[in-house]
Amino acid sequence: MKTEQACSGNDTEINSIVMSEDVRKESGRSGAFVVSAGKRKIQKFARTVGESTLLLIASFVAIVVFFIFYFVAVDAIPYFQLRGFAEFFTSTDWYPADDPGKFGALAIIYGSLMVTLGSTLLAVPMGVSAAICLSDILPFSVRQYAKPVIEMLAAIPSVAFGFFALVIFAPLLQTQGGPILMWAWWVLAAPFLLLAIIVISDLLTANMEDQNKRQMMSTTLLVVFGAAALGFLYWVGSVLRQIEIMSGTNALNVSIILSFMALPTIVSVSEDALQAVGRELREGSYALGSTRAETIVRTVLPAASSGILAAVILGIMRALGETMVVWMASGNSSHIPEPWFNYLEAVRTLTATIAGDMGEADQVTGSERYHVLFAMGLFLLVISFFSNLVSERIVVRQRKILSGQ
Amino acid sequence: MNLGTRKILDRSFSAVGIGSIAVMGIALLIVIVPIVYNGLGAVFFTETIEHRNMLYNEFGKGDKAELDKENAAAGIYRKEAYSMLSRFEAEMETMEPVRQQEFRSKYGPVQTALRHLIGPLPGDEEAILTRYRYGQTRWEKAEEKLHELLYEAKWDYSDPNSMAKEYFVSRAAEFEGTSLVRLFPYVENNLDKMLQPRFTVYWGFLTDSSVDSHIFGGVWPEIQGTFFLAVGAMLFAFPLGVIAAIYFTEYARDGFFTSMLRSANSTLAGVPSIVFGLFGLAFFINTLKVSESKSVLAGSLTLAIMILPTIIRAAEEAILSVPKTYKEASLSLGSTKWNTIMTVILPAALPGILTGGVISLGRAAGETAPIIFTAAVSVGSAIGIADVLSSPTPALSWNIYNLASEHEAAAEIRHVQYGMVLALVSIVLLLNLSAILLRARISKKLKG
Repeated sequence: MKTEQACSGNDTEINSIVMSEDVRKESGRSGAFVVSAGKRKIQKFARTVGESTLLLIASFVAIVVFFIFYFVAVDAIPYFQLRGFAEFFTSTDWYPADDPGKFGALAIIYGSLMVTLGSTLLAVPMGVSAAICLSDILPFSVRQYAKPVIEMLAAIPSVAFGFFALVIFAPLLQTQGGPILMWAWWVLAAPFLLLAIIVISDLLTANMEDQNKRQMMSTTLLVVFGAAALGFLYWVGSVLRQIEIMSGTNALNVSIILSFMALPTIVSVSEDALQAVGRELREGSYALGSTRAETIVRTVLPAASSGILAAVILGIMRALGETMVVWMASGNSSHIPEPWFNYLEAVRTLTATIAGDMGEADQVTGSERYHVLFAMGLFLLVISFFSNLVSERIVVRQRKILSGQ
Repeated sequence: MNLGTRKILDRSFSAVGIGSIAVMGIALLIVIVPIVYNGLGAVFFTETIEHRNMLYNEFGKGDKAELDKENAAAGIYRKEAYSMLSRFEAEMETMEPVRQQEFRSKYGPVQTALRHLIGPLPGDEEAILTRYRYGQTRWEKAEEKLHELLYEAKWDYSDPNSMAKEYFVSRAAEFEGTSLVRLFPYVENNLDKMLQPRFTVYWGFLTDSSVDSHIFGGVWPEIQGTFFLAVGAMLFAFPLGVIAAIYFTEYARDGFFTSMLRSANSTLAGVPSIVFGLFGLAFFINTLKVSESKSVLAGSLTLAIMILPTIIRAAEEAILSVPKTYKEASLSLGSTKWNTIMTVILPAALPGILTGGVISLGRAAGETAPIIFTAAVSVGSAIGIADVLSSPTPALSWNIYNLASEHEAAAEIRHVQYGMVLALVSIVLLLNLSAILLRARISKKLKG
């Protein structure tokens, strides 16, 4: 201890004894000042014991992770021993109650993939642009109010989202599905098409010399393309309007709700990644004459890309592992939709199957039906383990690159 | 590209970002507003006399004398309706058999609809299920049931290419020419006198137990179960998490072992919640046998494991954000490392640690999947504190699922479901809000 070294001189030793007695009287924390050899040994021993206790408690997490893998695997392996791997991964027949039961999980795995993909497609563009907005565009005072909104979205329990999806959103989708799809298409597609038209007509006329001619040409192009785009918008919109949704509890419903649940994760992790990109890169880009959008797209995003990838992986995991929403609102029918990309059909996911079938599976004797659910759990666990590992590696690597090591 | 286009692109880029945040805010509102609006309807609503009767009989609440007076007032109008029924029954006896048969099959649904509306008819046997002993307890439900009494719902299957459409046939027209025809306008005009509606604030929704699986009564068993589970989880996870965080920040040396522990932590954070449920079932119940079957203890332990990584991370961040100078000052005054941690660092980091704890508490209260196999039952009364080691409990999160998806009368008790969702969401959001406020205070304090 530093204090003990300082006490080597005679005078200081006396002083420190006086001081230590003062301290002892007041709060009893003077043990470290002057101690005999025996006492020091005890202290050292106590410290070792204390630190190893701390270490033990800290490694509790690792023990728990190991236990989770072990106990889920122990109940999953009997299934694979009895039935092999082929049926589980290749058959779509899921009739666990039959005798003998059929445990083809392909349609269920496909359902999980489908809703995960759907929610990722919705959540990633929105999440990344929101993160950019939070880190680069909004002033600090506004950001202070935007962050709690995202935190509240993350805090709402999944069963509340599931209830919303089942009781409010599903009937709405069932009765007003066509108009909702049409409006969503208009609102989402119209601004982007308009932007694309402006950019295209600008690019096409960029080589013209004469200013007036160029202005005229670009205006004509705008009008022509604009009319075409309006027609296109209207045509797709009317096609969407015709769609009649048979059941509101379907993959689309679940994908939309899951995307809102995955958003907070994506936003907060990619915002961290964006902020890790230093000021220097941004200012360099501004100095070369870029606009803010160009700076972000060409400089900041590439530098933060791996962190954003990590965010996307975490968001995907959030959607894949979510139980209540898919259980309540996905329709729980274990077949692959016809055609395979039909998001308006009911699907069934791994998590919902585990949650729903465990009540009927015989928990005590450990039937095949019980073990197959653990097999699904193990499958989810392995996927989540590896994606976590990957995203962690990515984050560490990005940090190293950005700090210039 | 010319400058104008670049500027437009720049602006629209910002617009897309702001738009996404706005979409998130709007989504939050779209989810929250109907839940709050309909959920408040479980507490603030227009009750009928049936509700007051139910409260008096099941919970002993209310004033007997006043209730009798109101029942007498309602009885006058009900008696008239009942006499119409008996007159029609007598009339049917005199009809020729074919006609009588026809009317009997139509008369049954009328009786059922009237029973749903104002309770058992005179001469009915005492119903076994409590739900059949009372009429509609809520006025807006009574109006729905009135519609069912006045009109018969039929389905139109004539067009095979589209979904069947519902249409309504007036019952009064079906009984044209009999004495029963007078019943329908009579009930329609005098329903308020038969049911004596009155606006009420039913706080009992939060404090009463449920009657006949949530058809009547409140959600106290669920609120209590949620409280037990969440607090139990915190009791296990909070001390462990804080100690682990102290180790990681103050004692751990960089190395393979520490990095392994850290990645174990993030792995645990990424495990899907349903897998925690499987683990809780396989480990705590089937292997350790902490209880015979589902129990609050097993559920709390499972939830504790689930929230542990969050607590560790929050506590680590809080400890790391304590200025280094605090620690150095304490060490230079001669206190030991442990002493410094206990008397200087932890008190300074405490608000931050508590913030993490409060958020985790909300997460434990809201999570459903881990407790499905380990702690939750659909119906049950509130359990005492002594039973937490051995008996399962109803909990808000699980019962929301159960009432909305599996209850046999799910569409009839939407108000209870909304009320439960509102209770759960407000518990979780209030916890989070207090965490946000706490954090704002800390950052102000740290800035000085």
